[in-house]
Amino acid sequence: MNMSLPIPKRMVFPSILLILLIVTPFAAPLITGDDPTAMAIPQRFAAPSFEHWLGQDEFGRDRLARILYGGQVSLTVAFVATTIAAVVGTLFGLIGAYFRGPFEFFTTRLADVVVCFPPILLALLVVTLFGPGAVTLIAVLSVLYFPAFARIAFAEALRVSALDFVEASRALGTPSRRIVLRTVLPNIAGPLSIQYSLTAAAAITIESGLSFLGLGVVPPAPSWGQMIRGARAFMNQEPLGILIPCIALTLTIYIINFFCDRLRDALDPKGAQGAKDAISQPVTTSQKAPDLPSDAVASVRDLRLVTGPASQSVDLIADVSLTLRANECTALVGESGSGKSLTSLALMGLLPDVIRQENGQLLLRSKSDGVVDLGKTTAQGLEKLRGNDIAMIFQEPMTSLNPVHKIGFQMVEAILAHRPMPKDQARNEAIELLELVGINEAARRFDGYPHELSGGMRQRVMIAMALSCQPKLLIADEPTTALDVTIQAEVIELLQRLQREYADGLGLLFISHNLGIVSEIADRVVVMYSGKIVEEGPTDVVLNAPKHPYTRALMGSMPAAHTDLHSSRNDRLAAISGTPPLPMARPSGCAFRDRCPMAIAACAEHIPSLDNVSDVHSVRCIRADEVVTA
Amino acid sequence: MTAFLLRRSLAALVMLLVVGTIIFSLLIIVPGDPAELLLTTGGGTTTPEAVAALRETMGLDQPVLIQYLQFLGDTLRLNFGTSIIDGTEISQAIGLRLPRTLELIAAAAILALAIGIPSGTYAALRAGSAFDVITSGIMALLTSVPVFVVGTLFIYVFAQILKILPAGGYTALSDDPAAHFRALILPAVSVSLNLMAIVFRMTRASVLEMRSHDWVRTATAKGLRRKLVIRRHILRNAMGPVITVVGLQLGILLGSTVLVEFVYNWPGLSGLLVTAVEQRDYPTVRAIILTVAAIFIVINLAIDILYSVLDPRIRLK
Repeated sequence: MNMSLPIPKRMVFPSILLILLIVTPFAAPLITGDDPTAMAIPQRFAAPSFEHWLGQDEFGRDRLARILYGGQVSLTVAFVATTIAAVVGTLFGLIGAYFRGPFEFFTTRLADVVVCFPPILLALLVVTLFGPGAVTLIAVLSVLYFPAFARIAFAEALRVSALDFVEASRALGTPSRRIVLRTVLPNIAGPLSIQYSLTAAAAITIESGLSFLGLGVVPPAPSWGQMIRGARAFMNQEPLGILIPCIALTLTIYIINFFCDRLRDALDPKGAQGAKDAISQPVTTSQKAPDLPSDAVASVRDLRLVTGPASQSVDLIADVSLTLRANECTALVGESGSGKSLTSLALMGLLPDVIRQENGQLLLRSKSDGVVDLGKTTAQGLEKLRGNDIAMIFQEPMTSLNPVHKIGFQMVEAILAHRPMPKDQARNEAIELLELVGINEAARRFDGYPHELSGGMRQRVMIAMALSCQPKLLIADEPTTALDVTIQAEVIELLQRLQREYADGLGLLFISHNLGIVSEIADRVVVMYSGKIVEEGPTDVVLNAPKHPYTRALMGSMPAAHTDLHSSRNDRLAAISGTPPLPMARPSGCAFRDRCPMAIAACAEHIPSLDNVSDVHSVRCIRADEVVTA
Repeated sequence: MTAFLLRRSLAALVMLLVVGTIIFSLLIIVPGDPAELLLTTGGGTTTPEAVAALRETMGLDQPVLIQYLQFLGDTLRLNFGTSIIDGTEISQAIGLRLPRTLELIAAAAILALAIGIPSGTYAALRAGSAFDVITSGIMALLTSVPVFVVGTLFIYVFAQILKILPAGGYTALSDDPAAHFRALILPAVSVSLNLMAIVFRMTRASVLEMRSHDWVRTATAKGLRRKLVIRRHILRNAMGPVITVVGLQLGILLGSTVLVEFVYNWPGLSGLLVTAVEQRDYPTVRAIILTVAAIFIVINLAIDILYSVLDPRIRLK
């Protein structure tokens, strides 16, 4: 939109190459004084010399001159044809997007038809009628390529015209013509320019191909395709003859493609960075022997997770210790970014590659091997634990199931991953599980696809799948956030019922920012803020008499009837201003102090420790004693 | 599913009709008398008798509507008429040469998929590694080399310098299977390189996108072995976009064979086409292009159906 937009760094080099590529052939008279068509038969196949830098061809013509002038022809044909195609196509696309109806049909279907004709074949058909030549080529190539531009312009124009600011300027009464010229066109310029360079490269390929067949540019006008055709017969005597035009042609197309790739990356940075999401291995830094209290199913000790390069790594979470017990539901509470999901992913051994575990010990009670230290477990060992001893359900039921596999297949897969058995038996078990989680017509749903189910039903499938191997620990990461309020209540009831009736001894780690739900389901509450535990204790104690100002603020942000499940789905705190600090920009001392209504100077001095206020209740706040429930 | 099949097949039929109509109308919209044009392009001269004779052979003396219906009827019966140069049956010539071109395309497509998909997957799973950087670089180069350049250079290297493969020609499979496949290697590899690069890029992009989806995490959380997660939950989902692109690129693949058959003297459909274009044998050119367009449409119909098997959500659209 802004014409003085700085050129991205990565675009500078390809842009210079492209400009050189386009300018060089047209500077031919400055580079060489030779005529590309002047023959000198006695000097045929002369080696490169001072007068003829690239030697002479089978008719003694100067090769450098032929390459340069041939480049003029190729580039002119390609860019003129592409420009015509781009202008005409964009117009068609915009007209289609503006008037819709039959125009829309025409614009979009045209590309479908043209794609049925291999470009070079259609070109040959036209050449049969009109004879070869540069003008015929330009005409054919423009006709071939304009529908692609029309389709892109159409699709992009529709997308852009639905954007807020375009809607806004329409509401303000800006004339349509101006909207198209000032708003829509600049915004669709990106995809169109990518298409432009792609098309130019394709046009050069076709032009040279036709000339190579002797059906493109007519001799004696020089062209790269023709030079290769001519030199073919002599390649044994004079390999330079084919190598030089081959290199020129390939280099030209390569530079245009290179420019196009960089342009695409610059316009869509998302695709450029190869999103790294391999899993990073848990480590252990504790010398302590792996030991768990007899009633515990898992524990986290002094966990510290960091990201960024080693020299300037940033703590994402630090000093997190948790003990998860059998038959107990522990709720991990906090705003987005507080580190609650990371803690649970660490327990699953599912931390993304970019996050490293710097410190801590993760212990799990396995069904078969007793206490397992995740940091000492191999990748294969983790595969055996996941789904079998520790299972997880995720926030987004809509995307957590693979859309191309039947529900039954995905259930059976989970069962067979840990318990080899005949397929029929696995099928029966899966159907029983689906019935258990309250899915009607379970046998029919077994053969259905995820997209045939509602979000609530999918989350039930996820729960059934997670429980399929009767794990010791089930992690539920905001399992109801994406669901409707009434469905939320049903899923919570289901989890409670399952913990009571089905999976005896199951420990539940329930992650949520919704204190209403937490008060319903949890036995213990752990509150996290900015990567640290700030308060921890039995649910009734913590929620009735919070000792940390942050917990109190969380309570205050709940709707009046806080025992009700009808609390907000909004992951923000209305009662406290501001947002949690980014991990790299935490204030000194207590991370909460700049949002805390009770902050004093001492809060900035050092990070408070997590201290016991009673046998079961601990708080990380130097003024904990002064906090009273509002 | 049946409704989906019917709808797609019907759409393909309509497309065939549209393509046929466009090819037919080219002769109508050409300014002047097409018979005269065909006989005089390239600076030739002709006599009124020759023009009249050609008009009659091509049926150009009939009213346009009659011509059109005649054209459609003939095409349906695969009767493409006779060559205006030597009077041979066009359908017969196509029937003889088409299998050779299809063999070339099939060999090239298999090669492109067999190398492009695994290397694309591996590069995506190790994004940023040396393998990824090097392979991506090579593939970027392969997208940029025109197919006749590859063909010419291959002949120079493998036939002229190393003398390990024939520079061209064709031996019937029944005559000498070994010689047949030796002669197939260079043309098939030449045709496949471009497609291989495209398959690689598409696979890499598609796998990169798929592997960060939630269901991959679910599959890992189930304790599925890494190999199965990759095969069932990443690759399986990534294949849809890849085969669609392959289908759309088939047009370019079919076009590449024109040049490759010329370079290696492979007696397929395209050799016939190039000669026909040189001789302005319009009925032959038209028949070949119709055949190729029909093949393209049928292959894409097959790919649509395959895609709907791979991804059940497609059938709903």
